[in-house]
Amino acid sequence: MKSKAVEIENFTKKFGDFTAVDNLNLDIYENEVFGLLGPNGSGKTTTLLTIATVYKPTSGDIYVYGHSVTREDYVVRKLVGIAFQDPKAMWIDKPYELLTWHARIVGYSSSEAKKVVQDVMELLGLWEHRNKQFYQLSGGTRKKVELAKVLIQKPRVAILDEPTAQVDVLSKHALWDVIKKLRDEGTTVIIATNDMFEAEKVCERIAIIYKGKLRALGTISELKDSIPSGDLVEVQFEGGGIPEGLLRALRDIGRVEARSSVLKVYVEKGEEKVIDIIELFRRYNVKILRIMVKEPTLDDVFTYITGAKLREES
Amino acid sequence: MDWLRGLLLVAQRDLARFWRNIYWLAGQLAMNIADLVIFAVIFRGLVNPAYIPDYIRFITPGILCLSIFISAFSIGREVGIELRREVTHYLVSLPVTRGQLVAGRILGGVLRGFMYQAGFIILAVVLMGLPSVDKWLLILTASLLLAVTMSGLSITVSTLTRDFNLQAAIRSLVYFVFFFVSNVFYPEKALAVRLGSAAPFAYYSPMSMTVNIYRYGFNYVSSIDVFFNLTGLIVWSTLAVLFTYKVYIRNLTG
Ligand SMILES: Nc1ncnc2c1ncn2[C@@H]1O[C@H](COP(=O)(O)OP(=O)(O)O)[C@@H](O)[C@H]1O
Ligand SMILES: [Mg+2]
Repeated sequence: MKSKAVEIENFTKKFGDFTAVDNLNLDIYENEVFGLLGPNGSGKTTTLLTIATVYKPTSGDIYVYGHSVTREDYVVRKLVGIAFQDPKAMWIDKPYELLTWHARIVGYSSSEAKKVVQDVMELLGLWEHRNKQFYQLSGGTRKKVELAKVLIQKPRVAILDEPTAQVDVLSKHALWDVIKKLRDEGTTVIIATNDMFEAEKVCERIAIIYKGKLRALGTISELKDSIPSGDLVEVQFEGGGIPEGLLRALRDIGRVEARSSVLKVYVEKGEEKVIDIIELFRRYNVKILRIMVKEPTLDDVFTYITGAKLREES
Repeated sequence: MDWLRGLLLVAQRDLARFWRNIYWLAGQLAMNIADLVIFAVIFRGLVNPAYIPDYIRFITPGILCLSIFISAFSIGREVGIELRREVTHYLVSLPVTRGQLVAGRILGGVLRGFMYQAGFIILAVVLMGLPSVDKWLLILTASLLLAVTMSGLSITVSTLTRDFNLQAAIRSLVYFVFFFVSNVFYPEKALAVRLGSAAPFAYYSPMSMTVNIYRYGFNYVSSIDVFFNLTGLIVWSTLAVLFTYKVYIRNLTG
């Protein structure tokens, strides 16, 4: 049994009459990269800010290593570090000053702070911007300063709210590596994102939330398998036609679409079924030129899940 | 020990920001002193030589008050901007207690007050002569208590509302009430004429209490009710701290 880093229990957050998060229940395990996936306004930031003790739950509670955010907020803050969605700085703040102060307040001595700040700034390519004022920085650079705070802090639980929004594609890949490394060094990472590619790239488990409610939860492959007939096995074969017997046998595996030299089989768990398909082709002596298993993208999953739930509701 | 470290770091952050705004503050002070001169000219009667033969020596302790007010009050302006830009979210996510945060912010304002006043204290010594050791103690205690009061009140004011214009209005109101219903700029005799039945309130203004102590400290007057003025300031600063804690914390937990 994996131990739990964060437990979200019946968490509801209202702003006035508006319910931003509606009775959320989630466990986040120690040392995983966990993704909160959902479009804008679905309640990701609200949830993350409550874990970081910035907001208080309207009802329910959240526990970080067993400590309640409502009753032991100070203990929780010592375990959690957060990179905000909107970088938190005044316009005339300078990254270096901001980060050294941050390093001091999270516990480094003055000399340690200088060293760790320089290391992290160099890692993120921020060093050349260290003495610029905040308003002179690009959106992506501001986001990196925000991420730097968490990398400096190395908290038990790192919260990253859309960490690569506004960051250029090249830097995104570098940041994803940095995030994975943070996890490898023992931090539990919670990422909010509306970028399916990012979620697929870095997250091990994902919660899809939409309009304040949890819609799906699982590993990426679990989520993909949860869509009926999600995978597609595409076979290119030699010769002009397919024996009727083979076709019948394939139809037992999944829905089949046959064209002149390409055959598509829609199946669940494509990576397992592909072996059966190859075996069938061999038995009927049809030579395979190329075979591919295409997974549905997370995008497909997301559209399927939110669409289905919306249909249920209306 | 840990508690103090966090608190001091919070205060240090505010102090560092203070130096960046030093010209803005100088501008504020210049504007206030200019106002003072203009008012002095307009209400000539108030600075009637019969009331105050030596206006410079009379007003110097008042400028000491003004310098604390402006610099300690500047903390509120920053707290207000932070709230609107949600930098406050960052501060409350840090591994410090809410108490450390509030105390650190107040101390930040106090240190600003002290730093800024230092130059004017030297000016006062030049203009009015060197006070004795016991009077120094009194002067510094008054400065400390006034700075705590002003720092706390300014944070409270900026935190009561997120409307920047309303903040500015309340700030002006506080300034107006504290300085005009006090004997900082005008002697009590003139106050009685101008304020009529409101004049007795001037005794309870933290500005009056402080300026009384300064005037006594710098030997402008030979005796005051030290106990009344000092106790009054202690009450004011305690109230300010309590208000700050209540109101600032309320905003910290959304
Ligand atoms: N401080 C607030 N006051 C009022 N409404 C808010 C506040 N913060 C968020 N909301 C609302 O709650 C909903 C969820 O917001 P948020 O958690 O920021 O979503 P996400 O991060 O998924 O985009 C949105 O409709 C937003 O407008
Ligand atoms: Mg968000």
